[in-house]
Amino acid sequence: MKAFEWEQPRDWGEAISMLDPRDLTVRVMAGGTALMLMMKSGVFQPTRLISLQGLGQEAGAIVQEAQGGIRIGALCSLTALGQSSAVATTAPVIIRTLKTLSNVRVRNVATLGGHLAHADPHMDLPPVMMALGATVKTVGARSSRTLTMSELYRGYYETALEPDELICEIVIPSQVGRSAVYLKCSTRAADDWPTLGVAVNVKCDGDVIEKARIVVSAATEKPIELVAAQTLLEGHSISPSRLNDCAELALAQAPLVSDARGTASYKKELLRVYLKRAIQIALKGTIS
Amino acid sequence: MSQTERTIEIFLNDKPIRVTVGHHQTLIEVLQAQGLTGARESCAQGLCGCCTLKVNETLVSGCLFLAVLADGQRVQTIEANEQALDEVQQAFIECGAFQCGYCTPGFIMMVRALLDENPDPSDEDIGHYLSGNLCRCATYPEIIKAVQRAASVRRVPS
Repeated sequence: MKAFEWEQPRDWGEAISMLDPRDLTVRVMAGGTALMLMMKSGVFQPTRLISLQGLGQEAGAIVQEAQGGIRIGALCSLTALGQSSAVATTAPVIIRTLKTLSNVRVRNVATLGGHLAHADPHMDLPPVMMALGATVKTVGARSSRTLTMSELYRGYYETALEPDELICEIVIPSQVGRSAVYLKCSTRAADDWPTLGVAVNVKCDGDVIEKARIVVSAATEKPIELVAAQTLLEGHSISPSRLNDCAELALAQAPLVSDARGTASYKKELLRVYLKRAIQIALKGTIS
Repeated sequence: MSQTERTIEIFLNDKPIRVTVGHHQTLIEVLQAQGLTGARESCAQGLCGCCTLKVNETLVSGCLFLAVLADGQRVQTIEANEQALDEVQQAFIECGAFQCGYCTPGFIMMVRALLDENPDPSDEDIGHYLSGNLCRCATYPEIIKAVQRAASVRRVPS
């Protein structure tokens, strides 16, 4: 790695004031696990890094809200996220997902905000957060705003964040009456990035699916909500033919890409199998 | 001193040291320069566990951890308490849980933390916790036996 300058601001405002929107070699680092890989491989060569490690514990706090949702500070480590009883009660899908997300050491250091801002489409929590209907709160030089996950992700490693705007908080709404599942398939080593990720979140009234959210990731350039496929499920109980129709609609709608982990046609077959499996698992369990 | 380096203080294996580091240097590079070679960079991607270190109470991959972040922190390596073998090291020897030994310091560091968190792990718990540690000699069955042996020794009050 090449030499660079280093800053450690004490609050979000100071961090943002240290950024230079005209100079993209000045960047923030949260846990740094993903950025370090880019720096070590020479893909990213910073002139100055702004560490967010000095922002204090509050920047990574998890708060249970009275209405049943949770707010998570962007600097919450993935380990702290996985050990949180509020997360386990509100959205157990996050706890299950974290079990196979990287390894103990990386989870100890990596942060939720960094994980979401990195915008690598192979990452596990962006599709999960999208299926949960989560939003991110940002702080910027000019304004603060709230973005849905669909608004946040623009493309391959590309977000809607301005160069001087940072994610400071993640908000997950109440999941009462819902059931969410995330499945991924890795076609090379077990610890490789997934070839396909599928997240499903359903809300049922008896046998009838009231609300459904279906998200595909890893096989696409960014996590994408498959709106037509989820609309097909809403207002109906599931039958083998409706499940098939839903999967076929998802295949038609998902912009799958070919890469080193498989061709688009191969990923189509994976999506058909994994989506049906995810819906069936989601329909078995609902959070009371 | 240029703007690309600074002097940091680390409590390294309980001894305070002052060292000037480049901002771009990883903790593993700095420790190697200090003559501590038990943790070593192998995959350089945080996947293999050979560079496992403890910063305060947290296990990290030293190859992905900038040394400046350790300023003012406690850093522990496999070289801490070198005078005596602990129950985990003893169990690895008794079970033959290595061949070349290159990955062993990382495994020992991880297993100590695993047993602190979970004194009675199942084989599945062990495999899960150690999934980010690679042994190219493939002594995985012996490692799992060694963890179980160390766990049972730890559970018996001495």
